[in-house]
Amino acid sequence: MFRWKRAAAVGAVLALALTGCSAGGSNDGDSASSDKLTLGLIATATTFEAQAINFANEAPYGQAVYDTLLKATPEGEVVENLATEWKYNEDSTVLTLTLRDDVTFTDDTKFDAEAAAQNILRFRDGTSPNKSLLAAVADAKAIDPTTLELTLSQSDPNLLVALTQNAGMVQSPASFENADIKTNPVGSGPYILDTKATVVGSSYEFTKNEDYWNPDSVHYDALSLKPYADPTAMLNALKGGQLNGANTASNNDLAEIEAAGYTVNPFELNWTGLILFDRAGTIEPALGDVRVRQAINYAFDTEALLEAVGQGLGTPTTQIFPTSSVGYDEELDSAYSYDPEKAKDLLAEAGYEDGLTLSMPSTSGLGTTVFTLIGQQLKDVGITVEYTDAGNNFIADILAPKYGSTYMILQQDPDWALINFAIAPTATFNPTKYQDPKVDELIETVHNGSQDESDAAVKELNAYIVDQAWFAPWYRMQSSFVTDAKTDVKTQVGNAYPYLWNFTPKS
Amino acid sequence: MFGFILRRLVSGVVLLLVISVLAYTLLYVGGGNIARRILGQSATEETVAQKTAELGLDQPIIVQYFDWLSRALTGDLGTSWFTGQPVTEGISSRLAVTLSIVIGATIITAIVSVILGVWAAVHGGWVDKVVQGISILGFAIPGFLIALGLVTFFALNLKWFKPTGYVPFAVSPTEWLASVTLPIIALSIGCIAGVTQQVRGSVVDALHRDYVRTLRSRGLSHNRVVYKHVLRNAGGPALAILAVQFVGLLGGAIIVEQIFAIPGLGQVAVIATSQGDIPMVMGLVVATAAIVVIVNLLIDLLQGWLNPKVRLA
Repeated sequence: MFRWKRAAAVGAVLALALTGCSAGGSNDGDSASSDKLTLGLIATATTFEAQAINFANEAPYGQAVYDTLLKATPEGEVVENLATEWKYNEDSTVLTLTLRDDVTFTDDTKFDAEAAAQNILRFRDGTSPNKSLLAAVADAKAIDPTTLELTLSQSDPNLLVALTQNAGMVQSPASFENADIKTNPVGSGPYILDTKATVVGSSYEFTKNEDYWNPDSVHYDALSLKPYADPTAMLNALKGGQLNGANTASNNDLAEIEAAGYTVNPFELNWTGLILFDRAGTIEPALGDVRVRQAINYAFDTEALLEAVGQGLGTPTTQIFPTSSVGYDEELDSAYSYDPEKAKDLLAEAGYEDGLTLSMPSTSGLGTTVFTLIGQQLKDVGITVEYTDAGNNFIADILAPKYGSTYMILQQDPDWALINFAIAPTATFNPTKYQDPKVDELIETVHNGSQDESDAAVKELNAYIVDQAWFAPWYRMQSSFVTDAKTDVKTQVGNAYPYLWNFTPKS
Repeated sequence: MFGFILRRLVSGVVLLLVISVLAYTLLYVGGGNIARRILGQSATEETVAQKTAELGLDQPIIVQYFDWLSRALTGDLGTSWFTGQPVTEGISSRLAVTLSIVIGATIITAIVSVILGVWAAVHGGWVDKVVQGISILGFAIPGFLIALGLVTFFALNLKWFKPTGYVPFAVSPTEWLASVTLPIIALSIGCIAGVTQQVRGSVVDALHRDYVRTLRSRGLSHNRVVYKHVLRNAGGPALAILAVQFVGLLGGAIIVEQIFAIPGLGQVAVIATSQGDIPMVMGLVVATAAIVVIVNLLIDLLQGWLNPKVRLA
């Protein structure tokens, strides 16, 4: 009998321990209260140092603690922020900004044009992934405490947009030499990072900046940013009601998330499909023939791929310019409707009636079925794909460039940024530095022409690269930002994460 | 005794050095273009080259390693390339989290498996069969499945616990307990299964020894024989397997921390390794190896205390 008593005692202790825990667990609903905004992210803060800071999925970290010189509305319109007025000179090579005089950093030093100028130059010379946003800036000078003058080596149609992003973030110059600059930011933004409560890489806790100059834009007393490395963990956090909002890494779990009471806020940010880098045919001679590139476009059943790869969430397209662009032309979207026979004819015309072989990289990071499907669809028209698994070196390898073509997901930036990201001879995603006189001419007009000339040139450029099949886009993907019943959000044109001030408590 | 500890510590340091060389080489070989991974796809090639130089990744591996080693010897393990946090700070803050789960799981394992193992061995019959059956089951079910099952049932359905996250003990002891309970249970189950079998085996073994018969013939009570003599003799092998399990739990914590989004060493190890965060991974390797060396030393000392036969040959 003695043994039974002992077992019973152990059981009772365990039971007590468990009920004790459950009481503790149910008493705290602090993470999702209306005075605190808790957001899930798929990226940690690589650094808080304004000079090297990231944007896109990491935008909320910087926006919490720093002000930007200019601000973008959810629709992408540039409006005032630290700068209240701005003006270009005649040939758009000198930008003069008038700055506020009532802004103080959280270390009690004052924001002025000198601070802004130093930040501009530091960002230009730093190691932010987006440092090229300020590549055109030759100099930044404080004319007086409220006047900042940026001198450009050449005009930059994207500069004002850049100043609404990480390139426009202003950090207190007094903190430049701080040893903990990467994890302890000093800015003038709406929130202050609470380094004691923060667990770097897991949860970043912010308290409200009580002295903020623009209190109307701050809708919460506290902010918590939680990056999730594991999609299942984020899904469980959502299902457990621990997050007010989150950007989902994929659309796979949307039904489950909606069932847990969340609203899906869809937006289109990226396009997916193939990039046919090697338009000169130096790596893959076949790709130097426009008929082969067009054949690849005809070979893909984009509607079916949208269903199979994108769960039907997206819009088929042939263009890399977004619908918000002046260059976008809806009619172009049917330029290469699925036609395997036509693809075979084009290949035969180009001298590849017996087929050809292309080598492409693959990576599990972008899924596995998608690469199989590409192989099958191209096989049907006579193109054999040989894959090399590039693992997590995928982007480095395609930009090396080691391959003539690849599957990819790319962001649809505003026109000038997009041109310099994916089309221009110097563009990052033109790693073969391919140059076409007509493209160069059009880019020149976009850059230096009048507004009407520039708009027309964007349109012509878009039509030209679709005709020349520089890419083989399939569809624009739906990105999904989910919010709980207590939270409203406006998604942001051109950014993966809604801007921080787009979040409001639902009344 | 002192000499013994000293010898073990010296061999531990040599082991650490060897492991650090191996780890650095592996990271270097498998690293690929780390600067590109830090900066993402929007950065230009020039920016990537600038970042590579800033991190010293353009240097030969020998130079990089000795650069790391010379700073590590002064206690400076560098700064994480992906979060900007000093590595020592990152590890120490996460060590407490992982240790609170792993030590918790070890204690639960020790208690539960000694109870179950002794009960099965002493009682025999159906109890033995049931306990053995349960431990095989606990052994066979993968840890991540147990963790997911616990989250779904206790956190999402019953809402007794939060499904993810960790609350430091200093912030709120009750919430801390709530945040570590499910992870500890998830970690313990597989462990209990293994250790219970071992305890049962050693107790059965000990019960059949001659001295037990002698003690019984001298009229000692059953409880005194079992709890004073048999348990002590069975303790050695059980402790050995518990030590192995403890080290194994550090590995098991990786999955559990991922699923519960707990900021422990395992979680950071997975992320840092896949990213190629060399300073962080090296810091983790050194810290983990040090823990293993120390735990093994402690277990040796404990063994000696429990069983005079192994006291310092």
